[in-house]
Amino acid sequence: MASASPRRFRFGRTAREARPGETVLAALSRDGWPSVVRSVRYHRPRGPFCGVGDCTGCLVRLNGVPNQRACRREVQDGDVVRTENSWPSPRHDLFGALDLLLPRGLDTVHGLRRPEALRRIYQRVVRRLAGFGEPPELVGRSSPPAATSRTAEVLIVGAGRSGRAVAEALVRAGRRPLVVDRSAATLGGGADLLDHATVTLLAPTAGPSGTFTAVGFDARGAGVVVRAPAVVVATGSYDAALLFEGCDRPGVVTADLALGPAELPLGPSVIVGDGRRAEAVVARLADEVVGVVAFGEIGPELVAAAAERGIALYPRSRVVRALGRGHLRGVEIARRDGGGRYRLACSSIVLAHRRLPNAQLLFQAGAARRWSELPGAYYPELDGDGRTGVVGLYAVGSAAGPAGPAAPTPAGVAAAIAAGPQPSTPAEPAAPVRVGLRPYYAELLREPRRGKWVLCPCEDILLEEVERASRRGYRGLEVIKRYTGVGTGLCQGRYCLPEAILVLANLERREPTEVGYITQRPPVVPTPLGALASVADELERSPAP
Amino acid sequence: MSLGRSGYRVVIVGAGIIGLYTAHHLARAGAGPILVVDRGFLSTGGSGRNGGGIRQQWETRATIRLAREAVEAYRRFGRDFGHNIWFRQGGYLFLAENPAELARLARVHDVVLSEGLPSRLLTADEVAQRVDGIAEGAAVGGAYLPTDGTIYPFPAVWGLYEAVRDEGVEVALGVEAVGVERDAGRIRGVITSAGTVSATTVVNAAGGWSGDLSRRCGLDVPNVATRHEILATEPMKPFLDPMVVRASDGLYFSQTMRGELVGGLTVPHPPGTQRGVPSSPRFVATMARALVRLLPRLEGLGVLRAWAGFYDDTPDGFPVLGEDPRLPGFVHANGFGGHGFMLAPSASRRVAAAVLGERLDLDPKEFSPARFLGPRPTDRAERLQLG
Repeated sequence: MASASPRRFRFGRTAREARPGETVLAALSRDGWPSVVRSVRYHRPRGPFCGVGDCTGCLVRLNGVPNQRACRREVQDGDVVRTENSWPSPRHDLFGALDLLLPRGLDTVHGLRRPEALRRIYQRVVRRLAGFGEPPELVGRSSPPAATSRTAEVLIVGAGRSGRAVAEALVRAGRRPLVVDRSAATLGGGADLLDHATVTLLAPTAGPSGTFTAVGFDARGAGVVVRAPAVVVATGSYDAALLFEGCDRPGVVTADLALGPAELPLGPSVIVGDGRRAEAVVARLADEVVGVVAFGEIGPELVAAAAERGIALYPRSRVVRALGRGHLRGVEIARRDGGGRYRLACSSIVLAHRRLPNAQLLFQAGAARRWSELPGAYYPELDGDGRTGVVGLYAVGSAAGPAGPAAPTPAGVAAAIAAGPQPSTPAEPAAPVRVGLRPYYAELLREPRRGKWVLCPCEDILLEEVERASRRGYRGLEVIKRYTGVGTGLCQGRYCLPEAILVLANLERREPTEVGYITQRPPVVPTPLGALASVADELERSPAP
Repeated sequence: MSLGRSGYRVVIVGAGIIGLYTAHHLARAGAGPILVVDRGFLSTGGSGRNGGGIRQQWETRATIRLAREAVEAYRRFGRDFGHNIWFRQGGYLFLAENPAELARLARVHDVVLSEGLPSRLLTADEVAQRVDGIAEGAAVGGAYLPTDGTIYPFPAVWGLYEAVRDEGVEVALGVEAVGVERDAGRIRGVITSAGTVSATTVVNAAGGWSGDLSRRCGLDVPNVATRHEILATEPMKPFLDPMVVRASDGLYFSQTMRGELVGGLTVPHPPGTQRGVPSSPRFVATMARALVRLLPRLEGLGVLRAWAGFYDDTPDGFPVLGEDPRLPGFVHANGFGGHGFMLAPSASRRVAAAVLGERLDLDPKEFSPARFLGPRPTDRAERLQLG
């Protein structure tokens, strides 16, 4: 096959090339680990973490627009990519001294009040340090790309396995669904596809059986509006973060990233996790894997794979510390039974221990939540056919719940949609069969503290800040969010809130369900103002949802 | 949860900025025991949902004076309450889109200036200097008061919450005031979801829910809860100092200490609290369109989140402060129309004085609950209900 000509772009002062379809991050990773950003408050070194476009580890300034995810954007000819929030460069950033000068972090709730004569100076300095990138430059195009407006019998969000299966079943039942996916996708016949389009707002209209309005944006930055009387959310799941000292270091990554297309030079890796996800990472990274750490026992398949490759196994263990000041150089592991502590040299830690549902769109649209002790997450409350409590809103696949016999099947969801709107009668929750992650977090909280434990990397919020708020009597995730800022960063709380719930359940000595959750605010992914502006006329023309 | 006592002198409904400030003034005056109840968690209501704007530009002298006193209190807040509310006096800039609007702003400017505040009328060029990147022709001028500004609302709530508890006030969160008990036509107690307590005074500082509460207590009040929405963008390095406001669509926005643009505009919603406070895609899109038209370079900037809250509106735009003449012991501290934070320190001082039976230094035509009880509405109004 003849290869298309390479895409040429600029990174800072250098000219670069990328293969057609290659992301900015992948192109920047060719010469080694890409270091493009520093953290927002303390200018800590950061690197790509999530690999799916949600974290702040690969933010770049792209063609004059700040805070663009290098892992989501395919290189176009003539792109200008710059780094943000560091001087002179992310690798050697003089502001990094802040991290050393403020070993316990900065208390913005009580601190920087005195002397009052310095108020304006404090404010100027803090404002200057805040925010990642400089404000956007004027793009100056003649006319913004036009919005896409569609109506559909059924909208399916997500063209993964479950979304496609629901679409195929609906086609067989004589329906014509519209499938929207944020990446490139393919479908069988009979269904419509809108790919490279991200749905970020979903709202039902008032009334018992109205339609839904879904709003989002496409790869051109134009707006997308879809109206449909039935919506199936099939947005899948993602790999969680994990709290330990230095857990925000470059080199700590999720399995999503390790298994994704970017092919970062991970080097010698320690895998955290014991299930199929960890096995997949071991299979992918093969001889680079030096160890596997699991909270409990390690399954026989993984034991066999490790034996074959000479990988060290650390069952019933805790990750307590990332070693190294800049890029990760090793990991400290503690046996949970009080046994030994071990140090392993590695240049990456791959998190494959906990898979969480991408259920934000469901909660935003009003679906009720149900707590699942394993993996420690809120899932939508569903009946056996995937109906949420919101009439016309369905969930399927790993966004809907942990796999199991009670999980709704694509065929069942399609049949439920074909049968027409009906109220949901939620299935009884399955009895908890295993102990969840709470004891693990209880042990972590007793761990002696040396360096920073960054609970929320987007906003550089430390575990200590949450503990301090808790000690002052503030309780519940909603209040802790407002007190500390946890959950208000660019990842929309995807990575910090699942950690914060388990931390707070321990600090407050009550059930995670009593710690509560946040109100899921729209949009579920940051959405360009221009895209939203382009759908304003369309939304004004019709009944307000 | 259970309450600490069976009786209090004062029960304050609402642990927002108004209720907590009132509790603080009363506790300092020795008016205990005091109970504050709130049906939600701290900052569930408007005090946790506002845009943080603090301005002194108003149409009426009475409001300007209350607002100026509030600004002084917020300047001292860090010293008084040990919490940093990040009060940044970056100014408030009202945009005039046409000569008629500029003439209206000039009248406001004259009143504000005559009250001793350094108000300025700006030309279109001077507006463009302060709003970097504003679209050509978006404003013919503006009114600007550099001592207005923004605060970060949450630490104000935390600071007051901790202060009043130190002062002996009991704050019961997750407790709803359901109604009042009367004896010979005056307040004898308050019925709450955690039981009934005796009290001779109840203060209605329930924000958007204050009209509901008054009506549940048999008082016909004109307060209307209206849903207003806000959005926040991704954070950026600072480029905008003032809060920018314009009349035509109620647009307002400022850049916070964290670098986000935070603001809203008016999108009509049915009145009342029954539907809760969801965000609407329509607001997010309309707000985005207004921002991009005013500042075209923001086109690629991401919206991070949107939320909504209730304004507690009154027909004449003045808040309602003082005892209800129909029900002795029932004191209003509401009707702030989305501007409770702007007036809280000074307005709550008057509420505390009303509780203590002191004479108020306010014109009853502007703030008293009695003004709605006459046969005709008064001729006064505060119409600068923006930002």
